[in-house]
Amino acid sequence: MTGGRVLVVDDTAFNRRLLVRLLASIGHEALEAEHGRAALDLLRDPATPPVDVILLDIVMPEMDGYETLGILKADPLLSDLPVIVISGVDELDSVVRCIRMGAADYLPKTVDPEILRARIEASMAGKRLHDLERQTLEEQTRMLATIDRQRSELSRFLSPQVAALVSSPDGEAMLAGHRREITSMFCDLRNFTGFSEAAEPEEVLGFLRAYHGVMGPLIVAHEGTLEHFAGDGFMTFFNDPIAQPDHAARAVALAVAMREHFAELSADWRKRGHVLEIGIGIATGYATLGRIGFEGRYDYGAVGHGIILAARLSGEAAAGEILISSRTYAAAETAIDALPAGDRQLKGFSRPVPVYAVAGVRTTEVA
Amino acid sequence: MVDTVLDPAGFARLLEITGDDLEFVDELVDTYLADAVVQLEAMREAAASGDPAAMVRPAHSLKSSSENVGATSLADACRSLELDGKAGQVPEAVDRAAACETTFKAVEAALLAERAGR
Repeated sequence: MTGGRVLVVDDTAFNRRLLVRLLASIGHEALEAEHGRAALDLLRDPATPPVDVILLDIVMPEMDGYETLGILKADPLLSDLPVIVISGVDELDSVVRCIRMGAADYLPKTVDPEILRARIEASMAGKRLHDLERQTLEEQTRMLATIDRQRSELSRFLSPQVAALVSSPDGEAMLAGHRREITSMFCDLRNFTGFSEAAEPEEVLGFLRAYHGVMGPLIVAHEGTLEHFAGDGFMTFFNDPIAQPDHAARAVALAVAMREHFAELSADWRKRGHVLEIGIGIATGYATLGRIGFEGRYDYGAVGHGIILAARLSGEAAAGEILISSRTYAAAETAIDALPAGDRQLKGFSRPVPVYAVAGVRTTEVA
Repeated sequence: MVDTVLDPAGFARLLEITGDDLEFVDELVDTYLADAVVQLEAMREAAASGDPAAMVRPAHSLKSSSENVGATSLADACRSLELDGKAGQVPEAVDRAAACETTFKAVEAALLAERAGR
């Protein structure tokens, strides 16, 4: 065992010298204090190197061994330090008292180097084990705090569902890629380009901030997975990574809520001379989901026919219109009010696509 | 007969535990002698003022260091004073404290003789 640092607390210089010498001869460094108060001052001094064991005399001026031991054991920072009481053979009653107070061991006053070595090493081994235990616990606590911090930081950059997925045990498999039916929703602004050309840049940023500030919380409240937002557009999908059996109805409910909240926002802007309108497209279909991108910048993304359809429907939607695909309509039919809005010829689609326009939701499943 | 002023076995033990480092033994002995003067002074004062509690600490301290140098008689006398002090009554305190000083003079002479005789 490597040497430790031992604090010798004894009022008799003779005893201190002898002990320090013996400790040095068995490889331990020694510090000295001539009574309990001096020992406590030394232990509490930040400049004092860490002590492994205390050798404590009982009968001392200023502060005796009992009082010192009591204070040591009551101090959370010092209570783990093993204390070996130095005692004469005729003072075993005081040894018993000290051990009851938390002393680790005792040492006869007539010092024997072998006994000294054995007792110090036993106490140090105990303390090292204890230190290791505490260190491990501290490391674990630190690690958990780091994970927590990472998760909360991640959730500022990712949708809450994706942030949770990244730190979940099956996250890697999900990120690697899987197929699932989802309902995706595209939402963007009519005439935003015109607005951003006409308005002051500060005004445009101010509007976007207000717009994101209203739409963002709605997406979170409806538990949509925000795939991306770019300027005036949002892409959100449902049923992944968290399964949502009512994904089609949820997407429509979110769209209706967005349209309502946007109306307040746009009324405000209309007063300032800017006409801004929202258009939303929703479609349901199978998609491949997972990590999309490249080293350094990945998104949790979705690829599929339904997504392209939702994007086209959003482009097709007139001001304030919510257009949904027939598959979304079929899935959400009982929960929404929608009317056929004709068959539309959409870019990239060989045949006209039947489309429904949403009037409202019947039941508000999600607040 | 065993010399109880300075028990040769006790002193030999001191040599042994210090690894026969005579220089260090001399240093220890000097420390012992200097400590002892202070403790004997405190014992004399405790005896003169009739304060048994004040007798305990110096007697205890001188007892343990005397044991370690092999001053058996002095250690025994100090132990008895310490125990009486703890009990709250030290009979013939003044005489016994004075006797300790006399014994100590003999111990001191023996220790210095040992050093001179090497």
